[in-house]
Amino acid sequence: MEKYAHDILIVGAGLAGLRAAVAASEVNSKLDIAVISKLHPLRSHSVCAQGGTGAVMREKDSFDLHAFDTIKGADYLADQDAVEFFVKNAPKEIILTEHWGCPWSRTPDGKIDQRPFGGHTFPRACFAADMTGFHEMHTLYGKATSYDNVNFYDEWFVTSILVDNNTAVGLTAIEMKTGKMHAFQTKAIIMATGGYERIYEFTTFSHTTTGDGMAMAYRAGAPLMDMEFVQFHPTGLVPSGVLITEGARGEGGYLLNAKGERFMKNYAAEKMELAPRDVISRAEQTEILEGRGWEGPYGPYIALDLTHLGEEKINERLPLIRDVAIKLGGVDPVKEYIPIRPAAHYSMGGIRTNIKTETSIKGLYAAGECSCVSIHGANRLGTNSTAECLVFGAVAGEEAAKCASLYSFHEVSNQMVLAEEKRVFDGILGSEGNERVSAIRDELRRMMNTKVWIFRIGDQLESALKEIRELKRRFKNIKVEDKGKQFNTGFASALQLDFMLDLGEITIISALARTESRGAHSRRDYPKRDDENWLKHTLAYQTKDGPRLEYIPVTITRWPPAARTY
Amino acid sequence: MSTKMNKIVEFRINRFNPETEKYFTSTYKVPVYKGTTILEGLQYIKDNLDETLTFRHSCRMGICGSCGINVNGKPMLACYTQVLDLGVDSITLEPLSNMPVIKDLVVDIQPFFDTYARIKTILIKNEEELKKPSEFTQMPQELKKFWDLTLCIKCSICHSACPAAIDERFLGPSALTANYRFITDSRDEGGEQRLKSMADNIWLCTQCNSCTMFCPKLLPCANAIVDDHCLIVESGDIPRTVKDVLESVYKYNNPMGTHQSKRMDWNKNSNVKTYPNVTEADVLYFVCCSNAYNIRNQEIARLMASIFDKLGVSYATLGSEEWCCGDHILRLGEKGLFEMLAEHNVAMFKKFNAEKIVTLSPHCYNTFKHDMPYSEATLNVQHYTQFLAEAIKQGKITTSKTVNKKVAYHDPCFLGKRNDVFDAPREILRSIKGLELVEMKRTKQSSFCCGGGAGKVWTEEAQPEKRPCVDRVEEALDLGVDVIATACPYCITTLEDAIKVLDVENKIVVRDILEILKEAL
Repeated sequence: MEKYAHDILIVGAGLAGLRAAVAASEVNSKLDIAVISKLHPLRSHSVCAQGGTGAVMREKDSFDLHAFDTIKGADYLADQDAVEFFVKNAPKEIILTEHWGCPWSRTPDGKIDQRPFGGHTFPRACFAADMTGFHEMHTLYGKATSYDNVNFYDEWFVTSILVDNNTAVGLTAIEMKTGKMHAFQTKAIIMATGGYERIYEFTTFSHTTTGDGMAMAYRAGAPLMDMEFVQFHPTGLVPSGVLITEGARGEGGYLLNAKGERFMKNYAAEKMELAPRDVISRAEQTEILEGRGWEGPYGPYIALDLTHLGEEKINERLPLIRDVAIKLGGVDPVKEYIPIRPAAHYSMGGIRTNIKTETSIKGLYAAGECSCVSIHGANRLGTNSTAECLVFGAVAGEEAAKCASLYSFHEVSNQMVLAEEKRVFDGILGSEGNERVSAIRDELRRMMNTKVWIFRIGDQLESALKEIRELKRRFKNIKVEDKGKQFNTGFASALQLDFMLDLGEITIISALARTESRGAHSRRDYPKRDDENWLKHTLAYQTKDGPRLEYIPVTITRWPPAARTY
Repeated sequence: MSTKMNKIVEFRINRFNPETEKYFTSTYKVPVYKGTTILEGLQYIKDNLDETLTFRHSCRMGICGSCGINVNGKPMLACYTQVLDLGVDSITLEPLSNMPVIKDLVVDIQPFFDTYARIKTILIKNEEELKKPSEFTQMPQELKKFWDLTLCIKCSICHSACPAAIDERFLGPSALTANYRFITDSRDEGGEQRLKSMADNIWLCTQCNSCTMFCPKLLPCANAIVDDHCLIVESGDIPRTVKDVLESVYKYNNPMGTHQSKRMDWNKNSNVKTYPNVTEADVLYFVCCSNAYNIRNQEIARLMASIFDKLGVSYATLGSEEWCCGDHILRLGEKGLFEMLAEHNVAMFKKFNAEKIVTLSPHCYNTFKHDMPYSEATLNVQHYTQFLAEAIKQGKITTSKTVNKKVAYHDPCFLGKRNDVFDAPREILRSIKGLELVEMKRTKQSSFCCGGGAGKVWTEEAQPEKRPCVDRVEEALDLGVDVIATACPYCITTLEDAIKVLDVENKIVVRDILEILKEAL
């Protein structure tokens, strides 16, 4: 086995990972930085981000306003010091990406244009048509690949973080092309592996967003925070779940029930279609459950009406949406309604970090969706995730660079690596059971969709927990049919499913414990927010017997919890 | 999925097992519903029929660029193509071309991304400006100029389809388009540096248009490369070979380096009527520089004249007033020179009273139809294969002799890919008794360019194994055909060159359709 050594290892090459690489390289051009990803960077899910990146760019807007919108959107579970830091640093990220070449959409006088977005009281979503994440990614990739000291390991599947004495010392990764496992030695690791929404059947997420990094950090001993808070996006295209940007409503789109009513008037009379996502998703689900959904071959749905926007505006502002709706939904939004319903979209929870992106493990950092800093609390506002990736990706890069400049390499013992080889090759690839990986995966996704969805209830969550434990038991008895070394995607699926099962279990246990409704976590049996008992973050630690929960207080600086209406 | 299944479609997948280093084919039956994409079909196979089947995928919404594969010979994104839209009961899936196969449908995309390592895909600007704390002003109309070119998802489909990409010196359609995107960006100041990275290799582009045809995001790559050409020509940093072509046109109004007074030399018997002796005819016969001057191709010009005679068609040529159509010149980036040629020809078309123009070359045909100022003159133009196919259909031409040969038809890009003329040449060949017409693997829209377009017929200097024409002849040899038939003088030149390079003159020949037809008459 070959051992590689780099001063900094960045796991994941989406927005946060690439931004971290650029930042670290800017701190010290002598640092040897490696970006390791199971995908080529440009295949990362960040390219799917569409609507915009939130930042205060104009005089009429303010940091306080952006912070308050974010905190209220978060149903007061966000850490307010982190939010304040975040909103202050977002604008400079927009300018940086602009200077690197990002083709931001423009106002008639040549400035970066901004559109309205759900839960924001000012139009502060900077956008590049409806391909914002795509353009940010291609810009950042161009920037990151321009540094000589940033090395890329594309299509290397990281399997574990190596920790010694609560310090991250390296990691193990399988080179997909050869199927060989290699050990990496390092001074600092940044996790930037994105979300895990593939554990749901109906999701906006790419096939590859399976939460590997979250699960690896959890297994390495870092707690995952607020994992019960999963965001359901109001407009997932039927039947695939592909994202239809909130920008479609930002540009003036309507949501209609089968009676042709803009039903949001009954749920958020003031904000209507631009209320936060949790509010709208609950409204849609209610309309469907009460029989006011449209009937379609894939079950009831809600209609997204853009027809009144006109062809010109749709082509200019929402060209991808039009193409996707035609190609994957079979409807042309210029003339027809788009069939949509809520889809699993974002994990507010993740690896717990402080404002400096440090985790509880020395030398281990996390940024982007896999992390929980927490600026999104119980519900993220649209445009804040790409902004978070840029802001905290940069922080992670800078902090890891400082750490790597201070310390020398730690020892990676052969024993650690051999143990991981045994787990992965003997335990998973070599497992000679009779369970199909795809069958367990599909059962998991269906179960999460029915029992851990928008509206939750105690006994359903109990039953979900039982089921997932059974699935975990069955996973021990899998058989990976493909025994080949090179580019074994069946093997990769098994590794991913192993991670997904852990994350599903943590989500269910955290959700079961939280006996209140807050933001995206909506309990039928506990329909009210309960600040007295639950204004606190959930921490999940790995133990032999499954996740152990702890709670820590929320940081409140200037905005005490208040009623949340839109 | 809860809708009713529409039908079962057979997926034939050409695979490679890296363990055994063996290529093999697997066939699966896939239930297809309305809306089922090829990617969903592949996933169905992997989840239910054969877990070992290997392919890349991620976003399943046409934006991450992972899932490019060849479907029935055409490269496309598996996630963005619906099975029912293909309208067939069996589809053949293969990995993308021009890149080494790792396993099944997974190719090594490094050669594609290596091209990106040679250019800069961030703004080039002086350091001081980059420190500015506010955005650079860019007006919406300035953004509009390059917006379409920003949509490249780097799926490598264009690279896979590109005949010039077999020469790794070539930057390739994607990186060249990206370069033009930045040159056109009003914020960028790196023009000179960007031109330099292209100047020594962009000439390998043949303008076959495959990149543009197959781009899932509809980027006008081929046009962007022409625009790159224009800037480089303007800068003067062009290779000797290209300079020679352009200078010949400046001097003689044709790229053949010969005086216009010799243009009718092919007309040995002086029986063909020419302007200004004749100023009207039913057909204006536009011969093309290659057929007029290239001794090998002059025979083709004569054959067409003899067929006109035989049919009793009233026809004439412009004689020495026929100037180069300019198609190659335009695509080499000398727009001014092209306009001069085109304006002359258009003026002559106006002076000469003809019902229609018949061209021998697909290049003349193409530029007359699509490029200003020809296109606004609304010319009634036919390629000679269309003219002949029509005559055969009407029973005006009948073949009497048997031609016992196995023939593969090579589609000229400027006739096929750029103008969708696929049937007329084949109809002519099918009308010939005894002739066995076979299709090469890469045919029609997926036809592999001979490497002669955009002036490359005169500027080719690549190592033989890097020339598209050699690749193409090898493909025909594999089929075991006696003849490669084609309908373009430039394809004839390049393919015959390849036959010499490969030293297979005793195995295979290249013939214009007119030459084959003559044998049958």
